[in-house]
Amino acid sequence: MIALAAISAVTVGTLGLGAWGVRFVRTTSDLLVASRSVTAWWNAAAISGEYLSAASFLGIAGLEMQLGASALWQSLGFTAGYLALLLFVAAPLRRFGSYTIPDFAEARLRSPRLRPLASAIVMLISGFYLLPQLKGAGLTLQVVTGSPYWVGVVVVAAIVAINVAIGGMRGITYVQAFQFWIKVFAISVPACVLLIHFGGLPERAALFGRELPRAPHALTVTLSGRQQVTFPAAAHITIAGRPVSVPAGAQRTLPGGVPIRLPRGTVVPVAKGTAAQTGEQWSRPVGGTSQSSPVLVYSLLVATFLGTMGLPHILVRFYTNPDGHAARHTTVRVLSLLGLFYAFPAVYGALGRALTPQLYMTGQTDSVVLSLPKAAWPGTVGTLLGALTAAGAFAAFLSTSSGLLVSLAGTISHDIWPRVRREPPSGVSVRRWRFRAAALCAMVIPGLLALLAQSIDISILVGWAFAIAASTFCPMFLLGVWWTRLTARGAAAGMIIGAGLATAAIFTGLALGDSQASVAAALLAQPALITVPVAFLVMIVVSLRDPARAEASAEMLALHAPEGLGLRLAEEDLDGRPEIAATQRT
Amino acid sequence: MSADGDRTAPALRSPRQELADSTAHGEVYLRRLRHAQLQLSLLALVAFGAVFGVLPLALYLLRGLDHVHLLGVPLPIWIMLVPMSPLFIAIGWLYARRADTLDAAFRDLVEK
Repeated sequence: MIALAAISAVTVGTLGLGAWGVRFVRTTSDLLVASRSVTAWWNAAAISGEYLSAASFLGIAGLEMQLGASALWQSLGFTAGYLALLLFVAAPLRRFGSYTIPDFAEARLRSPRLRPLASAIVMLISGFYLLPQLKGAGLTLQVVTGSPYWVGVVVVAAIVAINVAIGGMRGITYVQAFQFWIKVFAISVPACVLLIHFGGLPERAALFGRELPRAPHALTVTLSGRQQVTFPAAAHITIAGRPVSVPAGAQRTLPGGVPIRLPRGTVVPVAKGTAAQTGEQWSRPVGGTSQSSPVLVYSLLVATFLGTMGLPHILVRFYTNPDGHAARHTTVRVLSLLGLFYAFPAVYGALGRALTPQLYMTGQTDSVVLSLPKAAWPGTVGTLLGALTAAGAFAAFLSTSSGLLVSLAGTISHDIWPRVRREPPSGVSVRRWRFRAAALCAMVIPGLLALLAQSIDISILVGWAFAIAASTFCPMFLLGVWWTRLTARGAAAGMIIGAGLATAAIFTGLALGDSQASVAAALLAQPALITVPVAFLVMIVVSLRDPARAEASAEMLALHAPEGLGLRLAEEDLDGRPEIAATQRT
Repeated sequence: MSADGDRTAPALRSPRQELADSTAHGEVYLRRLRHAQLQLSLLALVAFGAVFGVLPLALYLLRGLDHVHLLGVPLPIWIMLVPMSPLFIAIGWLYARRADTLDAAFRDLVEK
């Protein structure tokens, strides 16, 4: 009940602040107003607030509990992505003055024909990234209220779609910054309180030694449906009151809906798809299991390091920086804020392995951040801490999915719709209605997919979004910013092949099912290590062979010349692009 | 050189004019800035790669580290959790400072 109240408070608070903020900024353009008044720290908090999603809040701890310490590479990659963004694109992209990725593609390569392609990829990435947010929402409401999984998916999809459609919480720096600090508070306070409560990490043998996770006390688990599990050691359990003995290594299908009792000290069975690991295997960052092979780790790092710059909802936030210099310094602050946040999820994964090992049996390790506090500290304190993490998780879904839906709806209403209907340019009010309709419709497909994707880990879903972004927009940005000879044809070829290969690998991996311990299986699960170099190579080769070569000196001036010299047409241009600004904010 | 030649000599045009008209000289100024910035970014990338990029391989090969415990937690986990973020911030901060210096030098060149 308390948790539900906390979730409602975060939701209402966010929507309320958004609506209140919108009334203030309705007349002027928020991004440009903000650019003159917001400090680098506020901006950095806003960028981090929009970035920290269900994958960061729930997924990393869940994956750490399931796979082991190798999951921590993911949080390092999520942070390092901003270093790549800082080194190669932050200042030039801010100077160039495009609000969206399709804008950049069209303006830099002087090709209106790149627009639909870039828009399609924006939709692909946003869709892949929305899916895990909705999955996290379904899981959270399930853990907190006991409602079926689909309820949370539908509720959050509806809240976010309606909110974006009526125009709340968008481009509003202070709301996003507020969200960031909610998330830091919600993840750090329970982690610290629990560590102090236990005086460090309990059950070290199962974390770092030779032990498998055991029930810390007698556990009663009720599965939501039939579940196939493997017993790594012999066990005597009670199913619906009947004692059952299981030999070591046996596979059993356990019934759903009836209480299953594991006596204290029982080695906990693991759900299908999860490997039982001793503490030594679990705590090894690389090479502990097939799912932490060096190839997979490097592929994941490439995806996150290079994919961050290609996420559709991140670029527009950089326009609250007044100039390229400020964009750089804001990004440095983002690095430190993300570093602060990512210190905490690891605590939940480790404590969860020791204190809530029944999640290995239910297969819901993604919910460890939510269910750990109550299990670790029964009573009021645990309930309050659990309410706090649930509220933080909701803040994560709301901010990230709103940002993504804005990009998605903006792309549909601005790029796809007029092209399909072949309409002449239309007025502001028509565009506004179109944006609203698009926001409502764009949520349907990710929502339906989220209902199907219940069994896939949040972090793995997000890893795919990063892989696609890294194999498409990253090479387009890096070559477009630093190489004069990139042509529209080269960029298009590279993006099509990058997106096609990455998507094909992901779906092939899904179709083949999990996991043979081979390099090929690892690269199907996370294809970035192959697809990114291929996309770069295709872009370079096709551009070099393209007869229509351009030196792009005007574009290079716009990208690289510092502001305030009166050289830059873009400086004056930025305020004069109401059409693009309108789709961001209508 | 004759008096006539002096009047039209490129030296009389300021770098700002060269850039605004995007003449051959202007392009050279800008290309020099772009190359300097790219070199700096690549240098920062190499610094990043030399530490963080080799870390997974190092932890994979140096199995002995798993048995070194600090406060009951294996050393590799400490290495991942503690010093990496400060490293990113330090590289980012140094890079941003140096990139600003390059921009400022270009600004001086154009405004002189």
